[in-house]
Amino acid sequence: MSRTTSKKRLLGWLADAALILYFVFALFPIAWMVILSLKPANQLFSTYFSFSPTLDGYRTVLGDSEGIPFVRFFVNSLVVSLGAVALSLLVGLPAAYASARWRFKGSENLMFTLLSFRFAPELTVIIPLFVLYQKLGLFDTYVGMVWVLQLVTLPLIVWIMRSYFADLTPELEQAALLDGYTRKQAFFKVAIPLVKPGIAAVSLLAFIFAWNNFVFPLILTSNEAQTVTVGALSFLGGDRPKYNLTAAAALVSVVPPLLLALTIQRYLVRGLSFGAVKS
Amino acid sequence: MTELELRDLRKTYSARGRPSVDAVRGIDLTLRSGELLGLLGPSGCGKSTTLRMIAGLETVTGGDILVDGSSVIARPAQQRNIGVAFENYALYPPLTVAENLAFGLKARRRAERGDVDHKVKEIAERVDLTAILDARPAGLSSGQKQRVSLARALIREPDVLLLDEPLSHLDAAQRDTTRRELKRIQKDLGHTTILVTHDQEEALSLADRIAVMKDGVIQQLGTPYEIYDSPANVFVADFVGEPAINLLPGVADGDGHARLSDAARVALPVPVPAGREVVVGIRPEDLALTGDDGLPARVLAHEPLLESGIATLALDGVESPLVVLTDPDVRLAHDDRVHVTAETHLTHVFDAETGDSLR
Repeated sequence: MSRTTSKKRLLGWLADAALILYFVFALFPIAWMVILSLKPANQLFSTYFSFSPTLDGYRTVLGDSEGIPFVRFFVNSLVVSLGAVALSLLVGLPAAYASARWRFKGSENLMFTLLSFRFAPELTVIIPLFVLYQKLGLFDTYVGMVWVLQLVTLPLIVWIMRSYFADLTPELEQAALLDGYTRKQAFFKVAIPLVKPGIAAVSLLAFIFAWNNFVFPLILTSNEAQTVTVGALSFLGGDRPKYNLTAAAALVSVVPPLLLALTIQRYLVRGLSFGAVKS
Repeated sequence: MTELELRDLRKTYSARGRPSVDAVRGIDLTLRSGELLGLLGPSGCGKSTTLRMIAGLETVTGGDILVDGSSVIARPAQQRNIGVAFENYALYPPLTVAENLAFGLKARRRAERGDVDHKVKEIAERVDLTAILDARPAGLSSGQKQRVSLARALIREPDVLLLDEPLSHLDAAQRDTTRRELKRIQKDLGHTTILVTHDQEEALSLADRIAVMKDGVIQQLGTPYEIYDSPANVFVADFVGEPAINLLPGVADGDGHARLSDAARVALPVPVPAGREVVVGIRPEDLALTGDDGLPARVLAHEPLLESGIATLALDGVESPLVVLTDPDVRLAHDDRVHVTAETHLTHVFDAETGDSLR
């Protein structure tokens, strides 16, 4: 056997070992959470691995016992996240299209302002928002949450979709105009169908960001419109923190983004690689 | 069918804080019904802007566009009934060829469903697309895409047809066949057509008349023969013709010749007052190698191209090289001494300052 092949093999083993190490490192917290969620309350703090697994934690969480309406939080999260994405698409798609096709006065400033919503920490605006929401009656409402989550979802959708529209050659819509379509029809019948994979990908990302948002529901909701991210932590309150319930709640709240990602996986891969491969 | 007229058409791009750009500076053109006019010029000469103004994709900043005598500049693109075959074809990727063709008809809701199918079939036969009606654009060759693009422009029976660099993305073999197809289809259907191109061969072979453009102005308008035989100025002479015309600076001596150097004198086709600085233009194909009479020259290079050859010569005392088209049997080597003569009646002479023809 030549030296180069044995060297190659050694490198291969090292790479495998490194990957396995990373795999354990990455999955360990999730495994820990799963174990934690299956522990009975009296074994929570035992560090031995042996325990009697029980689904009681999940039953408690989904059964709304302990005085914490987790199912409602879950529904709230769904309503608020889907609502935020829907509103952002409604407003963001035309905005992205316009900014990709035309340079108008202040268009770049407008786009930059939108982007700045993303890199300004939410905490910088949360106190004034809290006061405003109290005064306007938006505190702890769906409308208020959908509105504030636009800070998260809208810039994402506008900026990503803008590059999708910019990748489409304008001649496609111009040909439609010459055929007798109006601007609006050219947008809906020509441009939108061609960026569908992009819409799928960006909607999923926006949904995940909205779903995972913590600061806004923490400060701007109390009960009626509270979401799972904040709700899951409620189990830690009270005289004894119930880590098993928090773990169960957290795992349940991962399900919707995961399911969504799996169902639109096909679009997602195509959507995210769009532009890399020119048609 | 339709007559198209451009009157002093202008386009000025102005942006705040930047000097405005005159892309098109007053174009006057009248196309007879069914005529194919070639707009020929280098990139940036304003030919595409002109085309886009006619189509309604660009606003007009001055002048007028008349289709059959009535102005269309106030109408948006969708109300002009002008067909455009775009340079990049602009076919909708998710639709089949047949759907692409039908897409345009559906917009105006002019046609019933059965009628749409019928029209698609009809145009497909005309443009030879019947075999690929169910294919998607991604699977087509450039030549096929070009034909689909043309068919889509034609299916609506437009008043005016605009072709933007229709052959530029085709390889040599496809270009020849597509060009002939294009000429046949245009003559068959008789659309008033403007062809925009930077490729002289395309313009010469397809167009009834050619307008040569530079810097937003038409330099010369005429049949391909007029453009070739009597170019209006140095630019047109230089732009049309392959290999390019020889342009040699000289001074008129008053007795019917121009002096290129102490040793080299060329007879001029027209009398020019003595002392006037001129540019003498002689096409490579109008020069011939001769025995002992003619201008003495040294061979710099000779390219034997089988059906003819191209010799690059240095005239004694003249700086710019002279390109001569030679007969196929001529063999030349570097540094050979030759003599060359020009056909006086085919020689062109231009004013050195203005570049305008003195003929």
